[in-house]
Amino acid sequence: MSAARARGEGPSAAYWTGFVVVVGALALSPLVLPEFWQRFATEILIWGLLAMSSDILIGYTGMVSFGHSAFFGLGMYGAAAALLMLRPPNLWLALAAGLVAAAVVAVFVAYFSTRLRDIYFSITTLVFSQIFYVIIFTWTEVTGGENGLTFRQPPLALPGLFSIPFTRNGLHWFVLAVVTVSYLLLRRVTQSPFGMVLQSIRENEPRTRAIGYHVERYKIVAVMLSGLFAGLAGALYAVQNKFAAPDFVLFLVSGETVIFNVMGGMGTLVGPVAGAAFFLLMKEVFSRVFYEYYLIPVGIIFTLMVIFLPQGLLGFLRRRLNQ
Amino acid sequence: MAERWQSEPWTKDMWWSGKTTRRRFLGLSATAAGALGATMLVPAPWREAFGQAKPYKIGVLQPLTGAAAAGGKTALVGSQLAADRINKSGGINGRPIELVIADYESKPDVGRRKAEKLVVEDKVDVGEGGYLSNVCLACMPVFEEQETVFMIGVCLDTTITTSKCSRYVFRPFDYAPSQAVAFAPYLVKKLGKKWHIVYLDYAWGQSTRDAYVEQIKKQGGDVVGTTGIPLGTADMTAFISKITGSFDGLFAIMFGANAVTFTNQAYDLGLTKKAKYAGDGAVAESTHLTALGQKVEGFTGVNRYIPVLTKPLDTPYHKKFFEESKILLKQMDPSGPDPDRYVQSNFEAMNFLKLGIQKSGFKGRAAGDAEFKKESLKLIEALEGMEVKEGDDFPQGDKTLRREDHQAFLRQFIFDIHNNKHRLLEVIPREKTVVAPACTFPKA
Repeated sequence: MSAARARGEGPSAAYWTGFVVVVGALALSPLVLPEFWQRFATEILIWGLLAMSSDILIGYTGMVSFGHSAFFGLGMYGAAAALLMLRPPNLWLALAAGLVAAAVVAVFVAYFSTRLRDIYFSITTLVFSQIFYVIIFTWTEVTGGENGLTFRQPPLALPGLFSIPFTRNGLHWFVLAVVTVSYLLLRRVTQSPFGMVLQSIRENEPRTRAIGYHVERYKIVAVMLSGLFAGLAGALYAVQNKFAAPDFVLFLVSGETVIFNVMGGMGTLVGPVAGAAFFLLMKEVFSRVFYEYYLIPVGIIFTLMVIFLPQGLLGFLRRRLNQ
Repeated sequence: MAERWQSEPWTKDMWWSGKTTRRRFLGLSATAAGALGATMLVPAPWREAFGQAKPYKIGVLQPLTGAAAAGGKTALVGSQLAADRINKSGGINGRPIELVIADYESKPDVGRRKAEKLVVEDKVDVGEGGYLSNVCLACMPVFEEQETVFMIGVCLDTTITTSKCSRYVFRPFDYAPSQAVAFAPYLVKKLGKKWHIVYLDYAWGQSTRDAYVEQIKKQGGDVVGTTGIPLGTADMTAFISKITGSFDGLFAIMFGANAVTFTNQAYDLGLTKKAKYAGDGAVAESTHLTALGQKVEGFTGVNRYIPVLTKPLDTPYHKKFFEESKILLKQMDPSGPDPDRYVQSNFEAMNFLKLGIQKSGFKGRAAGDAEFKKESLKLIEALEGMEVKEGDDFPQGDKTLRREDHQAFLRQFIFDIHNNKHRLLEVIPREKTVVAPACTFPKA
């Protein structure tokens, strides 16, 4: 990829054609899907954004984070706070509050965890997510505790211009637009000199340090960037579902995010989105067929994928997707 | 020797003779396919009894996997028992009922998605179930948006019928404020004046603690201290050892494995010998008694349901409910546990729906999508203020489903554990469990 960039090669026409086709198909999906699946498609996009955000760390920097649930959850609670406190509820302020909450947490987590590497980094992020979980779970007066917070959905509004309540399709298109812009931004970041350094850290951290890069600073920025987009996903989830619950801060959400990456293909940005879609659809379909035993086939398929498709669903496109 | 019967003359027609012709093979295949197809087209046993009558679809939400799976499966037994009985007795308004069961994996996001699946895709006429309060609260807006009645089977959180109440949601069993009103006089007058409350430190534990603090004080008693223990704490000794000072009774607000851990460790540290041990009925559900053994002996609690067959629960309806539940529970757990309050409340929730549908003539989605909202409102009006009498459908006792907040009021049982079994001490009539409504339904 870097060689292609060095030669001044941009993404191919095939890449952009594929991009337009996929975004177009996603945009049209609510018009053809049954009602339940319309909403499910929107939810997949939100989980996909969370997975994409974690790919910055897992796929590009080589840092496996188990703390993404904290960023996602705090983004959700930040948006919830804005929606509960502001009258009338404002979509943009909710998203901004979600981003701020996630950013604050990300700074805190990044400062302490990036001093460590490998499994120690993963464990530290997991510990931080659990700390935030316990705080949210027990601080009932503020967070609603176990029951979480429920609120009304804000309208899609631009001050002075219009204010319309979200329809099911409207929300899908809004989420799709946010996810698409996030993808393009993250793609730009991964292809920038900053992104190259992150990939260099992934490939050989001591050598990156040896040639003069301040690795810890890059890692801190990577965690913050990743946390910011995870928080955006959390805020979108709050807007879509009108509730925030401590379960989203639990480490299990982080675990699922890692699974999305492994299934979809790390280091591709879109792979984790595909992984999220595949995993969530698989769970939904199997739970209808196998009821409470659905995790058995899910586990078998995941194991088979790790053995026979270690690069994930879109891993084979990694080079092309990063052009 | 073992195969000799195959050469007997009477086996000629049934045993493979080695003369399978193509015509015979195709004929047999077609017959098998036809039989299989017919089975798939007529899957439910109620078809035989009800002909082509369209069933009422009842969407049942329960956690069948995840942290709350054990409780969810037990709760489901109550819904299934009621559905079986309703179908055997001719259905509702001549129509059978069909349960559409959804497992929400003990997660609120999945719960919300499954609730949406039930109402949007499966087109259920009404919803039932719940179990985890956070999932109930997450799902309530879905039922409200889809204008579908949701009869809660277990969720206990107070706010469901107070600050977060919904016109489409009913709770046909008790909640903490009501239990505290019922139990506090007994605690203060018969067990002791000074209490220390130990609670699970999260929403349900905290709201229940507040309700008991208020009622104990109202009765002239005193709460000298409270100790919160995080949910899922495996070693509670650090918390228990801090419980010091002078008090007559220790009041525990716990459930499930947490209750077992706390009772065992408090006993080992001598706390439950030093003071009287009382608490929420969930501390000593029948499913825990084996694990608790002697350590829970003497515990005094309050519960809407206890599995005893002594007066006034020696009625034929309760015996029938008890025995039929035990059969279903044994299919799930070979040790054959007694039914608990989760089985009872889901069973009765289904029967509230039955009576509401009968009374209102609710047609559900059979009336057409355009009419469905009107149908739901008819059902809501029929359920609001409904009074039911103790009987086959309500073995726990009489109930009122209050119009103002959709909260039920019912009698409470004060019991103790004697020889590792529940022993009924006192029955608090439902009139003495009533608390003022605190709900304003959101405008449609």
